Parts: sequence; C-alpha cells; structure tokens
Amino acid sequence: MKRVAALVAGLSLCAFAASAQPKPEPPPTPQEFAKGEELFGSICSHCHGPHMVNPGNASFDLRKFPHDDRARFFNDVMNGKKSMPPWKDVLHPDEIEAIWAYVRTGGKAPQ
Amino acid sequence: MRKLLLAAALAALLPCTGRAQTAADLMKGTQDTSNVLNYGMSYDLQRFSPLKQIDRQTVKRLVPVWNYSYDDNKSEESQPLIYQGVLYVTTNGATMALDAKTGQQLWKTKIDYPPETPRIVCCGIISRGLALYEGKIFRTTLDANVVALDAKTGKELWRSHAIDFKNGYSMTVAPLVADGVVITGISGAEYGIRGFIDGWDPDTGKHLWRTYTVAGPDDPNGKTWPGDTYLHGGGSTWITGSFDPDLHTVYWGTGNTGSWNPTTHPGDNLYTCSVLALDPKTGKIKWHFQFSPNDPYDYDSVAEMVLATLDIGGKPTKVLMDANRNGFFYVLDRTDGKLITANQYIDKLTWAKGIDPESGRPIPTEITDNVRKGQAQEVWPGAMGGKNWSPVSFNPETKLVYANTLNFGMHYKPTTPQFRAGLTYWGADIDWVWPNGPRGYLKAIDPMTGKAKWEQPSDIPRFAGVLSTAGGLVFTGKLTGEFEAFDADTGAKLWQFKTGSGIEGQPVTWQQDGVQYIAVSSGIGGVYALFSGDERLSAVPAGGSLWVFALQ
Ligand code: HEC
Repeated sequence: MKRVAALVAGLSLCAFAASAQPKPEPPPTPQEFAKGEELFGSICSHCHGPHMVNPGNASFDLRKFPHDDRARFFNDVMNGKKSMPPWKDVLHPDEIEAIWAYVRTGGKAPQ
Repeated sequence: MRKLLLAAALAALLPCTGRAQTAADLMKGTQDTSNVLNYGMSYDLQRFSPLKQIDRQTVKRLVPVWNYSYDDNKSEESQPLIYQGVLYVTTNGATMALDAKTGQQLWKTKIDYPPETPRIVCCGIISRGLALYEGKIFRTTLDANVVALDAKTGKELWRSHAIDFKNGYSMTVAPLVADGVVITGISGAEYGIRGFIDGWDPDTGKHLWRTYTVAGPDDPNGKTWPGDTYLHGGGSTWITGSFDPDLHTVYWGTGNTGSWNPTTHPGDNLYTCSVLALDPKTGKIKWHFQFSPNDPYDYDSVAEMVLATLDIGGKPTKVLMDANRNGFFYVLDRTDGKLITANQYIDKLTWAKGIDPESGRPIPTEITDNVRKGQAQEVWPGAMGGKNWSPVSFNPETKLVYANTLNFGMHYKPTTPQFRAGLTYWGADIDWVWPNGPRGYLKAIDPMTGKAKWEQPSDIPRFAGVLSTAGGLVFTGKLTGEFEAFDADTGAKLWQFKTGSGIEGQPVTWQQDGVQYIAVSSGIGGVYALFSGDERLSAVPAGGSLWVFALQ
C-alpha cells in the first residue's frame, strides 16, 4: 500500500515537473558549464568519480542520471537520498544549477 | 563437586562476554594467541602471529566456517578484536559482538549520525575498528563522537563529543588505549580542519588532553605557518598509533596540509606529514620527525608506524618503520626520532631525488620546485601515494615487511581554494596517470634497503590490510573479492577464496579450542573504488560481511 502511495506521489511529482518544464532545457552557457565542472570536481567527484567516471557500486553512476529530470536532480542534491548527503544548507541554488548543467550534458562541454 | 564441574562446563560452553581485560593483557599482543586485543594485533602493529596450524602445506584445506552480514553496503575496513571467544567488530553504522566460533550475533548496537555527515568524509564511509579495555569497548563515530559500550551488553556507557562535524571534522579511527588513556585521532584535512589527537578517561569519557598536529602561535614551531594559515592547516590523524609500553611513548602519524597547494602556506608546516612521539598520559610531544615538509601532493603520513627491534650495525635497536605514502621506506630510532635509513620502495618516484641522510629532508626534483612556483606537473607517485592506508605486516622471522604498494601517478595543478566551512578545501586539480601494467604490487620489502625480495602484481591495486604468520604465510585480499594466501619466502600464491564483494578489510588470526581461525571483512567502497574511476570494478557489488576461515 505504502509503495503504491509512493509511486503515485512520484508520478504526480513527475507530472508536475513535466508540466512546469514542457520543453527540453536549452544547453548551458560555456561559463555555466565550466563552473559546474569545477564545482563537481571539488565537491562531488571524490564520491562520484573523476569526470563522473565511477564503477557505480559504492555510489551512483551520474552518467546514467536521466538528462531531462531536473526535478529529481534538485530534490536529490538539496535533500539527499540514503547515504547521499543533503546540500541545501551549504550550496547556493546557482551552484546546484551549474552542477546540473554539467551533469545533464554528460560532462560534454557545449560548443 | 559435581555442581562445580557442571558450572565450569557451562561457563566453558557460554562465551564469557565482558570479563575485564587489563593493561597487562593488552601488552601481550600476539604472544596471547587465543585473543586479538589490539588494533594491528599488538601494540607494535606488526600484524604477525606465531600461529602455524595453517601453513604452506595445510593452507589448501582452508575453508569458510561462517559468514556474517553487516547489513551495510559501505567500505568495510574494520579490524575485528577477539576476547575469550567473542568477536567484536564495527561498521560506520553499528557495533557488534558475535560468538567467534559460530558467527551467532550476541548483540548489535546501532549508531545514528545526521544525514549531512558524509558531506565531510572525503574517502569512504568507514569505521576502522575499536579498542577493548576493562570490560568496555571504545569506538568513534563519523560525526566526531567517542563512544564507550559495555562489552557484555552493548549498552552505551558514555559518549563524548570531540568537535563539530559541520566544520569538516569526522572520525573513522580505531581508538588506542595506552597507559590507561583512550586516544583518538581525527579526519578532515581535505576540509580545512586543524588536526589533533585527543586523550580521554576510559571510565567517564572526560576529555584529558588535546595535542594539535598543526602548531599554533603558542608553539615555537607555529612559525612554520604564515599568518593564520594554521587554522586550516590539515594534519589529520585517522590511523591508530603504535605504543611502546617500556618507553611510555605513543607513535602517531599525521596527515597532509590544508590546502594541498604549498604556495598558500610557505614553510615547513609542522607537524603535518610527520610522526609524533607522545606521552600518552599528557599528550606532550617528546619528539617529531617530518617526512614531507610543505607537502603539495597529499603524501600524508597517517598510516601505521610499525615498531620492531632490528640489528643496526651489530646492535639491537628499537626502531620505528614506515612505508611512507611519499614512496620512501623509513627506519627511525624510536628512542630519539633520528633517521637510520630511508629508501625508495616503489618503482617510479619523480618528486624527490632522495632523502638527505643527515637532515632527513627530501631533496626535491625540478618537478617539485616547479610545483612550489605554482606550476602544473606530472608527478609520481600520485595522491594515493606509494602505499595508502592499508596496513603492512612485519614478520620478525623473515625480517620482511609485506605491503600493498601502489604504482600510479597524477597530473597535478595547484589551485587557490576559498575556505567554506564544511566543504572541500583541496587546493589542486588532479587527474590520474596510469601505468601500462599493474597499478599495484604486494611486496616483501627489506626495511633497510627498500628493495623487494618478491612482488605479486595486481592490475587493480590491492587496498586490504596484510597479515603474516609463523606458518610461512602472508594473507591479504583484492578489490575484486579474492582473499589470498602467499608463501612468505617466495611470494608464490598458495590459496584464494572469492568473497561476495571487494576486500578492504584487515585480516586477523587467533586460536580457539585447538583451531586456528582467520577473519576478514569483505565490502567495497573505499577511496580507490570511489575516486579512481576504475570501471573494471563495476562487476563487484557492494555488500559488507565478515568471513571466518579454518582448516577443513
Ligand atoms: C559522501 C559521498 C557523496 C558525495 C560527496 C556526493 N554524493 Fe551523490 N550520491 C552518493 C551516494 C552513495 C549515492 C547513492 C544513493 C543511494 O543509495 O541511492 C548518491 C546519489 C546521487 C544522485 C542520484 C540519486 C538518485 O538515485 O536519484 C545524484 C543526482 C547525486 N548523488 C548528485 C550528487 C552531487 C551533484 C554531488 C555534489 C554536490 C554529490 N552527489 C556528492 C554519495 C555522494
């Protein structure tokens, strides 16, 4: 029963995210990407691997994170998930935005 | 009479948890083969056992006798202790007592820490073990508390808060009990901490002393730090020290500088990348020896300082041995901290030309000179060092040190970080440089020359502790899960058993009712698994458990 409720909650969250973000996000600016790459390197890479390369057993392989799921990314990073720590009290929203720019491009710099 | 006999028989059947073990028991080390009461298996951290039921011939009959799930999917690096038939072990989230013969859980006490805590843990969510003394268990928590439990019941007796984790401080270290004082270290040099070592009263948890590993203005060595850079100077202390009860001296290694970039704090930066000889009662520094002054490369020196008596120029000498992360193997006279010898023990080392025999200081190469001018360089060994935390074993019969050594470098670019409490404070961008061949070797090192008598390569380097025995064996494990036994003289591989996850644990051995047992934890998730980007490990699942072996 609990599972069903969680599933429904998840679905409605997705639906909300989808309706709030109808079109795919435009590619990040090179500055935003560079900032994200640097922040990722200093704050996330020792758990998620250099340049997001990671065997995926002891943490999450972020190359596999859905590139269109902004809501899930922000929720995970702000509030944490299992042993993934929450960051909302130490990172500014624009910093999380920049890291998202890096993650959603799969680590490939915009042309 | 009969009743008495019955009672005795019953007592023998039941594992007697929590009978007091004294300071004298702790001093026996591996002479007492029925217990394992010390981190490192004895105060000298030799990890050598005189047991020989399992030997070169019999090892092929070694089989698992039980397996215990930690219900935890982190890096399992804890060293078990065994006392009177009870095995005590920790994870980041719990402390457990098990019947050592059957694996039956006697009690389990969970530990809670705030979800923010892993934010300030650079290199794996880990507990490295515990200490036992007078019926109590002592351990540390990730959020920087020291806890005492009743060994019989697991009930918490006291909890002392060392420091606020939100400022980057965490604890993974197994405490040391020396001269009746519980001694703990701290982690967090990558988060701009100011490192220290603490002493606690075992009965009450009262804080007895704190010795900073980063000298401040009240210490003449404080002038090795410009301005107030000492406030974030690093110098963590996350591996348990060794203890010489005759000299009443504890030997504790200290970590790297904060930040790594040496131009942000020109000077020797005492007492980072050093060994401190401490009075356990007061924490007073008797002497110090610095391996890597003004270190740019994360060549921290926290790893074990092994004590032994070696023949130096025909004279039995009390020495301290250290396979330092900087790639040199040091032998010091532990009575006064004087350097006896220091030799390269890894194949490729580009940051220094050697160690000056008079001053004990490294002679920098042009590469290090350039880094100290703020330039980017390729450097060997890389930031994980010539050997990382995984403890060595010294066999006093072969006089060899068995060590899991590393063989990779890095591209190193100094950066200038801004300190933000609770976030990383690296000071360098690094990218690994891999060799064509193996990334690590188990080596049998002659401590006086640094030369290897034999070596066993591994494409994915080993990150487990090493155990050696009078049975002529060396035990260690692989990140791919194999627990292995080698011939101590030749390095020939004699046996292996594949566990369910990667091995990062510290094997121990003891004898109970005529049977020699060997225990090791399996569970991947430490620094190499997280931070190397080695995708060959993707087929090694997480999942911590403890394996115990005996002869069939
Ligand atoms: C202390 C180690 C650690 C650090 C530092 C860390 N993470 Fe994680 N992260 C994890 C672990 C472990 C998981 C897997 C959690 C689980 O069990 O589901 C994870 C999962 C995630 C997920 C996916 C969760 C999901 O399944 O939806 C995202 C997104 C993520 N991390 C982003 C980040 C970002 C961005 C940073 C840097 C700001 C970061 N992480 C820093 C350990 C860490």
